[in-house]
Amino acid sequence: MSTAAVILIRIGLLAVFLGAWEFLPRTGIVNPMLLPPLSLVIDTLFDILGRGDFREAMLVTTAEVLVAFIIAVPLGGAIGVLAAEHAYFGAIFRPMLFYVFSIPKSIFLPMFILAFGIGFEQKVAYATFSTIFIVIMSASAAVESVKADYVLVAQSYGATRAQILRRIYIPSMMPILLETLRISMIFNFTGVMIAEMYASRTGVGHMIANWGENFMLPQLFAGVVVLAVAAMSFNELVRYMEARCSTWRS
Amino acid sequence: MTRPSPRTVRRLIGLGLLVLWEAVPRFGLLPELFVPPLTKTLAVLWLDRSIYGAALLVTLYEVAVAMLIACGVGILTGAIVGGVATMRNLMLPVFSSLYAVPIVILYPIFTAWFGIGSESKIAFAGVYGFFPVMLSTAAGIRTIDEQYLLAARSMGATLPQMIARVIIPASIPTVLAGLRLGGALTIIGVVVSEMLTSASGIGYLVTMNRTILDSPRVFAAIIVVLALSVVFDIIVRAVERRTLVWQTAGRRTASPEAAAPARLATV
Amino acid sequence: MQHMAQLSPGREQSQGAAVEVRGLGHIYAGRDGAVPALADIDLTVPAGRFVVIVGPSGCGKTSLLMMLAGLRTQTSGTILVDGRPIATPDPSRVGVVFQEASLYPWLTAVENVEFPLVLKNAPRDERRARAEAMLNLVGLSGFGGRYPHELSGGMKQRVSIARGLVQDPPVLLMDEPFAALDEQTRMTMGHELLRIWSQTSKTVVFITHSLTEAVYLADEVIVMSARPGRILDRVPIDLPRPRTYQMMATDVFGALRERVWHQIRDVP
Ligand SMILES: Nc1ncnc2c1ncn2[C@@H]1O[C@H](COP(=O)(O)OP(=O)(O)O)[C@@H](O)[C@H]1O
Ligand SMILES: [Mg+2]
Repeated sequence: MSTAAVILIRIGLLAVFLGAWEFLPRTGIVNPMLLPPLSLVIDTLFDILGRGDFREAMLVTTAEVLVAFIIAVPLGGAIGVLAAEHAYFGAIFRPMLFYVFSIPKSIFLPMFILAFGIGFEQKVAYATFSTIFIVIMSASAAVESVKADYVLVAQSYGATRAQILRRIYIPSMMPILLETLRISMIFNFTGVMIAEMYASRTGVGHMIANWGENFMLPQLFAGVVVLAVAAMSFNELVRYMEARCSTWRS
Repeated sequence: MTRPSPRTVRRLIGLGLLVLWEAVPRFGLLPELFVPPLTKTLAVLWLDRSIYGAALLVTLYEVAVAMLIACGVGILTGAIVGGVATMRNLMLPVFSSLYAVPIVILYPIFTAWFGIGSESKIAFAGVYGFFPVMLSTAAGIRTIDEQYLLAARSMGATLPQMIARVIIPASIPTVLAGLRLGGALTIIGVVVSEMLTSASGIGYLVTMNRTILDSPRVFAAIIVVLALSVVFDIIVRAVERRTLVWQTAGRRTASPEAAAPARLATV
Repeated sequence: MQHMAQLSPGREQSQGAAVEVRGLGHIYAGRDGAVPALADIDLTVPAGRFVVIVGPSGCGKTSLLMMLAGLRTQTSGTILVDGRPIATPDPSRVGVVFQEASLYPWLTAVENVEFPLVLKNAPRDERRARAEAMLNLVGLSGFGGRYPHELSGGMKQRVSIARGLVQDPPVLLMDEPFAALDEQTRMTMGHELLRIWSQTSKTVVFITHSLTEAVYLADEVIVMSARPGRILDRVPIDLPRPRTYQMMATDVFGALRERVWHQIRDVP
């Protein structure tokens, strides 16, 4: 199948999906109270995008996501490199990390609330906490992916430590680092959303949770669409950069 | 000086954490509201064992049904997407793009649709666990060494024989990794949704006791959830050990594609 | 050379052709246009012969082998195996041994060997006995219960050979079966293959990159050129059988190797 055909079929599928979203509730096949028709959701979307409180909520959420990201990624990265470079340290903590991975971090939300209240700091702290483990794992994987052969060759040509870092480690780790950024962002965003939905007075997560409880489905769907589009856009952006990196890599 | 083995150190760390959990609040280093002593928490758990037991049953029921859905639908969809080239080209990028959406934002929709009972938890956790199972199954099928299929054809295998005797066994390791992840995510999904909006289950006990500032009971619920994760992990490991033969070989590479969904998306 | 011809009795007087290729051509529909992979291939392999195909990478050796196995359909020309066309894989006529271990890691050695019989729903006892016999033939009796990852590279290829032979096909096709092995194991395996071949009197079509291996094993070496793959030369190898390692040091062996090498080197 040619690329054009694939894109055409995808557009077709999207059109069917959107068409069904409009058509099914309009004709009453699906209860429009439960699934507001697409056109209504889009109207509502523009409506809430124009509202001051929603824009403020978006700003708050964006700030929380960014600050948590800026804390979690370097911190987790440093720990991850340490775990990969120091075999003993890694042997101790790697299995613990694997276990920590599989527990629902949300059960610790009450502690974050007690420690930080339900404001900005709490969201940032919880999102950092829920993201940092994946960053640690990915960063160690990135370091381990650097081929010992490359380093050996560089060393045999008398490369300095700084040169090895710049010329070997960074380029070979680049794709995994980008992948780490991408996955951390998914975790981070999820963490902020849960914290906002759980206990908060601000943020988009708080707003959609509220709309859900008050059965304001057009607003709820509009909010979900905004969040989903934002998440997918960032994801695609990083994937695009990953693709560019891997073309020169292979 | 020889270092103690990592396992010993880990055990010591675990023990140390337990001791700290008891000592820190006892000596007033942190208020009991923040961390109630371990013994006090365990005492409360024992006292309220019928409440916690009942909540655990609700949670387990939701987890079981959600896992069935996530695994069943995930394996089926993954097999189609991974096995049929057209579907793969068409749908895989779409699915991995959708994977970026924090699924938790769908939960308010599920409560609006299904109410705040078990149905909304099952639906949410099912969707939550579905993605890794589906992506792993697709990756598992896609990364089967073509040599295996070629060899089977040269030996005259029919398509059903190919599926039953080559494709399924060859994709088991990756699918298992996906089930492990999907299972963990299903548990997480149930607990998270119970914490958000609900009237029963372990997650509900966390939230309910938090709002009345009954920290020992919050921590008792946390202990139950941790125990649930540990038990799940032990079961999965046991299953994995039984399929060790599959794990040791059989894949073109430990491809990053196959590993990617195996990264735990936990919150 | 005539004294050598005397030392390989019986080989020349084989009855019909086991493999008969006439005017074979193949064109791949590639991404950027058609890729002519094979052209004007005529090849007759009498029953019981050991034919080795050499040629530069990408000259279509694997493609040709796949067509002989019924795994791929040629664009033009005819192929007869054991006197009949081969449109689909037929393990009772053709056994195939691939380069990389294509053994199934979830099956033990003996289960791998009996796999083709399982596909045929052969009774359990019968297929197990047959598989054990094959393992015995390739020198692996007692290793049937091992999984592939518990076997060395050479042993894995022995299992592959046993699997290829388990249905007793008249023709065995081998695509660089020993390429992944170290030099020493490779020599041993070549020698073992000749022993198995002499015990089973199969027709073998064997692809390799190693000229030494080619001359050591073959009754006839087929030299191919690339783009599109054609047959450049057929070099009869009149070395006596059974072959011994000492023959490699002889002038005759060197001269044959040189002749093949010239052909390949001159390929554009
Ligand atoms: N499935 C295919 N589709 C398109 N081109 C192919 C395919 N298989 C092989 N080719 C091309 O045909 C030529 C011969 O390939 P192959 O038979 O594998 O050669 P060899 O085994 O001698 O190295 C090569 O140029 C290769 O790129
Ligand atoms: Mg080849």
